Amino acid sequence: MPPLLKYILRRLMIIPLTLVIITLTLYGFAMLVPVEDRAQVYWPSSLDPDRLTAEKLQQVIQRIIHDRHLNDPFPVQYLNWLGNLLGGEWGWSPNLHVQVLDYLQRRIPVTLEVTLYAMLLFIPLGIVSGVLASQRRRGKFDNGFRATAFIATSIPPFVLGLMMISVFYVGLHWFAPGRLSSNMAVIVQSPAFHSYTGLMTIDGLLNGRLDVTKDALLHLVMPVVVVAALPWATVARVTRAGMIEESGKEYVIAAQARGVPPRSIVWRHTLRNTLSPVLTASALSAATLVTGIYVVEIIFNLKGVSEMIVGAAQFTALDVSAALGFAVYSVLLVLVIMLILDILQAVLDPRLRERIDA
Amino acid sequence: MRTWRRFFSHWQSGLGVLLVGSFLALAIFAPRIAPPTDPSQPSDYKFMGRKTDQMPRPPSEQSPLGTAAGQIDIFYSVVWGTRTALRFGLIVAVSSATIGVLVGAVSGYAGGRSHAVAMRVTDAFLAFPVIAGVWLFQLVLFPPAAAAQPTPLMRVLAESNITPVMVGLIAFSWMAHARLISTNITRLKTADFVLASQSLGASRRRLIFKHLLPNSISPAIVLLARDIGGMVILEAAFVFIGLSSGGPWAQILVNNRNWIIGTGGNPLTYWWVYLPPTIALILFGIGWNLLGDGLNDALNPRDH
Repeated sequence: MPPLLKYILRRLMIIPLTLVIITLTLYGFAMLVPVEDRAQVYWPSSLDPDRLTAEKLQQVIQRIIHDRHLNDPFPVQYLNWLGNLLGGEWGWSPNLHVQVLDYLQRRIPVTLEVTLYAMLLFIPLGIVSGVLASQRRRGKFDNGFRATAFIATSIPPFVLGLMMISVFYVGLHWFAPGRLSSNMAVIVQSPAFHSYTGLMTIDGLLNGRLDVTKDALLHLVMPVVVVAALPWATVARVTRAGMIEESGKEYVIAAQARGVPPRSIVWRHTLRNTLSPVLTASALSAATLVTGIYVVEIIFNLKGVSEMIVGAAQFTALDVSAALGFAVYSVLLVLVIMLILDILQAVLDPRLRERIDA
Repeated sequence: MRTWRRFFSHWQSGLGVLLVGSFLALAIFAPRIAPPTDPSQPSDYKFMGRKTDQMPRPPSEQSPLGTAAGQIDIFYSVVWGTRTALRFGLIVAVSSATIGVLVGAVSGYAGGRSHAVAMRVTDAFLAFPVIAGVWLFQLVLFPPAAAAQPTPLMRVLAESNITPVMVGLIAFSWMAHARLISTNITRLKTADFVLASQSLGASRRRLIFKHLLPNSISPAIVLLARDIGGMVILEAAFVFIGLSSGGPWAQILVNNRNWIIGTGGNPLTYWWVYLPPTIALILFGIGWNLLGDGLNDALNPRDH
């Protein structure tokens, strides 16, 4: 088996273990919620709780507690819940009045699209600006870069987002909030337009409607920039520090002595050795990235997964299934991002793959 | 002494100390700088007019930075907000660092299977976005008004002003500390000075707290300093989503979000409403970050 494939398989094997640890913790917390509230997870979607009398409501809940063994010991309950999760029964949300899995599935493409373009933006941009800053250490570019990076990490994302809406939407009419303009939304909903992936930019291409793709891309500019600000600063700072550390190493001096052009030393030799820690740092902050994406979806009204959490503090019912489903789904998203970055790292750094065989 | 000279060898560290020092001074002298209406019960907000008046007023002699929606005096809230921000940042950052250092130290010292298990749990927690955790804690520890009977734990949390965001951030921010410390301790525990102390009959607790931790804790201190600023900025995002109420800085920004857009594509039309709290947040973040960078240069000289 080629070492790269072996490496990917090893990384894949870690995912179920992580999920077991996370779901155990999650369900452990959920057990602290009174059993009557947990019973709502298994509410039959055919029944509208608002139409039932209090007495009837109690009857239904007691029956669910009995049928679903919600008074059993923790390990039994946990395994039941995990089995349901794997079987696609993520429960019913009393606040949203929907099946949680349906709700999530409809909105996943929105989140994925923002994630995809944000990563395509901040990783290359962070690496390039980090390298450039390290080459002009303590120079004008470096100081400007450090100031920008500090502001990017310290400005609340919604302030940045709302300021961008003011300038680019209200003022210049370049970009707009939402996913698509209304005339494009009509095209997308028409029967002629086939939804392959749910990602508007890609569906547009597959349907041969470049105008849809262009419109979707224009709508993605502001959210992607706001999402990318924080991880860009992280990637660039790690790159800068790594480049400075590597630049004193012997192989660099040897290359300089042999007369290798400085530009080639920087981009082909030093950078290659710096990329690994950069990707590790990005993978470690994948959870922060996802939190940022959720916030941005709300600012720009993208109707993504995070809409279910808006105003959760004001919810009247204890929405156990929504909170658990949201958590499990978020962890899955983080794990996918981490896996992609891990694979990228192994592709770029042969030492990682070889280590497994050794 | 050498450590301090290294710390101040870059002007950035001095700026960090200056910024953090100014915020501390603002917090301490808040009653002098912005006198509250009722000095015996100072609140985070001061109202300069009718609370129902939603139109922000520009800076005037009465309120040097103008008022926000509801005629809240912005200068007053920015000053008093430093107290809330410092309290929030310190509680969250110190608690999560303590958890992480303990997990890292104990598992790193124990080694073997328990170390492997602890590190797998740490890695699993790294994949957990704080936002989902905050929602869960909201449900479990701070149930909505419908739940009439608070448990003793809920009462303690409510009385000490602990919010779900705090619990969530503490529970999901300790992992970086644990990884750093456990790597360092694993490396150090076979060092000669540790083995020497062990052979003289030092207890396990003495080995960990007297020898291993002091020699491996500096990266955790750096991370702690940076976290204090970062946590307060993250809190603002959670307040925006509506998961929690927050300190005056975040609350003013969120309550006045519509004024940020301004009029006619000029976000600066109502600048006084949101720029002061935003700048306070940015400077707070930068100050602690620079302090962390300076500590990093001073405590880990090999990095540079």
